[in-house]
Amino acid sequence: MESTQRLVRTWIATGREQEIDETVSEISNGQTSLLNVVKALGDYLTSEEEDLRSKGVDFLSSVISRCPPQKFNMSSVRVLTSFYCDKLGDTEAIVPSLKGLVSLSMLPSISSADASAIIRALFEHIRMKALVQSVRFNVFTIVDTLMAKHRDVLKEINNEFLDGYISLADGEKDPRNLLVAFAIARVILIEFDITRHVESLFNITFCYFPITFRPPPNDPYGITTEQLRTALRSCLNGTPAFGSLAIPLFLEKLLAGSPSTKRDTLESMAVCLPVYGPAVARSFARKLWSSIKLEIFQPTDPLTEQEALKAIQVLVTTIHAPEERAIEDDEDIQGFARDACIECLQILKEPEKSQAKPAIKVLCAFVSTIPSIARYTVSQAVSHLVKLFMSPDEVLTRPAIMQLLLELIAAIRDSSLKNNLEVVQHLALLGPYKDEVFSVTVVALGTDSTRRFALLMLICLVMMKGLLSDDEIGMVVNIANDILQSNPDEDDSTSDALISLLAMIATTNSRLIEESTLPILFSALPDDAPTRDANVERAKCWRILNTLSKLCLQPDLFETLVVRLLTKLDFVCVPRSDAMLMDIEPNSAYAHAILKTISRTLSSKVEKGHADIQKHINRFIPQLCNLLIYSALVSDEQEMPAADHRVVGAAAEVVSIVVQTLTPNQQEVFMTTLIKFIYSNELEDHFEGSRKFPPGKTLNIFNGSCSTPRNNLVALLAAGLIPLHAQVTISVPDLSQFLRDIRIWCINYAGNDLQHESAWHIMSVIVNKQTEGVMEFLQDTLGSFWQTEVLDSAKPIPHRQEAIRAFKSVAKGLLVNGHSLLLRFRDALFEVVKNEEIGWEAAKAIGEIAVIDNVLTKKNHAVVKYLYSQKYVSQALPRIVANSRDSDNPSSQMAHLVALTTVIRAVTRAAYAHAMPLLMPLLLRGLVIPDAAIRASIIDTLLDIAISGESLEQNIISQHATSLVNAMLNNCVDDQVQSVRVRIAALRLLAALPGLVRYDVLHPSKPTVLRELAKALDDPKRAVRKEAVEARSNWYD
Amino acid sequence: MNTGEIYNPNPIIFSPKKSSGRKSDLLARSLWLEGSTQTEDEANQPEPIDQDEIFVLTPCKDLIRSIYDPEHPNTLEELRVVSAPQIDVGQNHVRVEFTPTVPHCGMSTLIGLSIRVRLLRSLPNRFKVDIYVKPGSHQSEHAVNKQLNDKERVAAALENPTLVQTVEHCLSQQ
Repeated sequence: MESTQRLVRTWIATGREQEIDETVSEISNGQTSLLNVVKALGDYLTSEEEDLRSKGVDFLSSVISRCPPQKFNMSSVRVLTSFYCDKLGDTEAIVPSLKGLVSLSMLPSISSADASAIIRALFEHIRMKALVQSVRFNVFTIVDTLMAKHRDVLKEINNEFLDGYISLADGEKDPRNLLVAFAIARVILIEFDITRHVESLFNITFCYFPITFRPPPNDPYGITTEQLRTALRSCLNGTPAFGSLAIPLFLEKLLAGSPSTKRDTLESMAVCLPVYGPAVARSFARKLWSSIKLEIFQPTDPLTEQEALKAIQVLVTTIHAPEERAIEDDEDIQGFARDACIECLQILKEPEKSQAKPAIKVLCAFVSTIPSIARYTVSQAVSHLVKLFMSPDEVLTRPAIMQLLLELIAAIRDSSLKNNLEVVQHLALLGPYKDEVFSVTVVALGTDSTRRFALLMLICLVMMKGLLSDDEIGMVVNIANDILQSNPDEDDSTSDALISLLAMIATTNSRLIEESTLPILFSALPDDAPTRDANVERAKCWRILNTLSKLCLQPDLFETLVVRLLTKLDFVCVPRSDAMLMDIEPNSAYAHAILKTISRTLSSKVEKGHADIQKHINRFIPQLCNLLIYSALVSDEQEMPAADHRVVGAAAEVVSIVVQTLTPNQQEVFMTTLIKFIYSNELEDHFEGSRKFPPGKTLNIFNGSCSTPRNNLVALLAAGLIPLHAQVTISVPDLSQFLRDIRIWCINYAGNDLQHESAWHIMSVIVNKQTEGVMEFLQDTLGSFWQTEVLDSAKPIPHRQEAIRAFKSVAKGLLVNGHSLLLRFRDALFEVVKNEEIGWEAAKAIGEIAVIDNVLTKKNHAVVKYLYSQKYVSQALPRIVANSRDSDNPSSQMAHLVALTTVIRAVTRAAYAHAMPLLMPLLLRGLVIPDAAIRASIIDTLLDIAISGESLEQNIISQHATSLVNAMLNNCVDDQVQSVRVRIAALRLLAALPGLVRYDVLHPSKPTVLRELAKALDDPKRAVRKEAVEARSNWYD
Repeated sequence: MNTGEIYNPNPIIFSPKKSSGRKSDLLARSLWLEGSTQTEDEANQPEPIDQDEIFVLTPCKDLIRSIYDPEHPNTLEELRVVSAPQIDVGQNHVRVEFTPTVPHCGMSTLIGLSIRVRLLRSLPNRFKVDIYVKPGSHQSEHAVNKQLNDKERVAAALENPTLVQTVEHCLSQQ
């Protein structure tokens, strides 16, 4: 008791939290009781001095709010409740009393009598207008808690409660309180007898509609407009009784509001109408239709239009759903839907006019309402459009009619897809009119202007399962074949539609395509490559190949494709006449296009997860390898089309995709053969295909210099090695030695990009997957290789640069699997950045290590450490930044800037965003680097940062806006900057600035920018002019 | 519109013409399907501005055809107010002809002004731009033509903030 008194006195004097906590813990462990606290407070609670009284009550409330609930029994609660209820009458004590009541009302031991006492006291004493937000919040919380726990008590005093509550809630403005108030209101509307209070409840809810609240910036409460909207909406549709009051209000808001209000109103109507019921909906149907119609026929924006269509759907469903059962054989629905439908059809009599589009949209919306309406709409609209199409007066408007019909059919398809009732629904809807639609479509296929719509229509029809018979699909394929043959100059969108139609049929009726379409395509593909000048011919080939790659995805079709294309390839790649030998390049190009087609088809198959890819490792892959090796061997005597590096590259791509899908065992078998061939020079019987290898020849690639065509074959080796599983044993005697061979070959003999890249890839994948097995090679690379090939200044500079690139590819393998040895590789590179001769190359290497490529990926079974690139960058960045700020050594500073740009291009923005304030000045300084590629990538980086939309980045861009503008202007005019890429990048950044930076910052630059951009408008390159137009018009706004 | 009067409430909509792939592009393609080694930087042949470019620069950012009609949410192309053959490009001279949807269309001047502003902003200064209503397609053809091609009047119109705002709306709505 004494300690309690002491605590109370101390608290009154100091107001510290500590005393409250101590009191509570004393109560909890039984040292004192609530009664003692009240006794100790005694004088304060009744003190004459207002301040002391209020403080006393406050202390009691604080203690109660923290006390464990089991410390309260029925009688203590009753005493406390009646004490607080009395105190509500005391102006000074209202605030702490409410606080106490909040905690009391939540206690389990509070009785019904207490609850009704509290609520009555609230209604009697509380005048909301006199209280501040947080106190009002307490009032609402009390009502809310009682509503949750003692609803029956409140229901007993129904009218008294409603009167009291309505006057409490009236005029509330704070969003936090409103959220609670709306929740209370919803319960009232649903569970209480509101017959006498409909109007006042309507007033205290609908007065908030529409919600225009916009959260203040950095709002700590985080209440969003959307939360308020949904809460309010749950009140608006709380009771059918609101119906006749609410709809006029909705209509008024719809007429006058801003776009967002309109949308809100339409959405609210859509949720309210079903609750208000068919009677109300029917009585307002005309008015609703004429206002909502306006939003569809003269839409403010597409979103509002969508909402309006939804609202119409709800309206129709609400009105007609109850009659649904009564209607049996449909055809003839009455009332609103019929009128609206007829109105739209009337508009559709002029299908070419602009109003026809919204009209068909309304009808499409009707299709996904209820079955009877859908049937009626489809029957009316389809027969109307078909009749119109057939009428000789309307020949000119046929494209428009087809477009409308297409939209309707697509709506039928979508509605049945959405409801998962596929077969039943679209058959029921469209079945009776299928023949008419089909014949109209066939007619439409015959004319250029309607062909595209007709093809799209067929796609829709084919998509609806069971609609077209096999015969009809056969007919479609025949017509499509005719179009394929007869119209070489078709525009893109039509031929795209044609191809997707055939591709769609190929998935279901592949035999049809195989028997009728493929022969046409294959026969149109020439055996000889189009000559150098035959551009049109060549374009046709490409088009056919493109079509084939889209059609031949099904296993059987793909098999046919491969067989036919390989035969073609054989024809093309083995010279048969002197004319062909005169100019070999077109043949190579044709072979390349064929191989690209196969690889594209394969990639689509991989995406779709087809399982039939594996078996081709024993079918066409050996044949392909045979052809390539043969070509390389023969190329000593004569030029061979398939010896071209681009052809080999495309073939390697194909091999790589197939090997990717194999199991480890299969991979091992295949690789053993391949390595035997290419690495060990054993030209045995494997890969023996249609061509016999010339006797007595070996490839002999790694034993010194040999011809380019042979060297190209390393790409094939790489293609096999890249996708290997880590557990596959590579059948070479010594893996480290193998890698050393590759490395030597790479820096000494490799002659083109394909060869270099292949060697790099081989090194990085093997290092990545077999790190422990090639430790010797790694140590050697760091040690003697680095010393003799890179650091030795006697060696020619290009050679040393090449060595750095090889070094980088080894490091990359380690980076991706997160090996600790990487740090030594990285440090070695950092060491030489200062070197004037090879510094830039090393700097680029530092950045390029981190670039995520498509070689070391999960798909290729690489060992990939999570977020490896980001980790590397975050470690390397501080060091690079520090070095590039070091102004003592200008050349190393420049080199570090190069490293900086390559590093940050390698990762996404998030990895370096935090360092932006430091990076920005460096990047700006980097814009004077003479290397165009680096400058372009700096500008791209800046653009990434600029359009990221994050506030930090925006601030930085704004700070540097003027210098950015000037730098970009220097980079965007033709006579100063040679590189098109830099000019385009600079213009893009300029175009983005006005949208990001406040106008007052940019205003001083505006005249200069507009003047300079006028020069860019006259750029010799079309692509640059395009960006200039964009940029300049952005600066005008 | 401010007047509340709509000159042509239900105009005919034409579906856009076939996508304008340049014929010349097809012929200029290289021997190789993709990944041609020659980068754009090296191919430094100038590409002169032509009729297609004035009408449609690329499918996404068009000069004239994407301008919106002041009365409708449709582009000038959809309403067939302007089409590529109506544009004539010379060395330093562009002549654009447009067809109002109805002969009494009061928006003609506004459409013409929008075209002019778009070209003013997007073409190099060396170009002279003439804009005419198609002969016989408008009842006050002469007046409209005169208004559109008078430097002073155009400048005066562009001083008027409401007018500029409307033009801006036609140019940027999407």
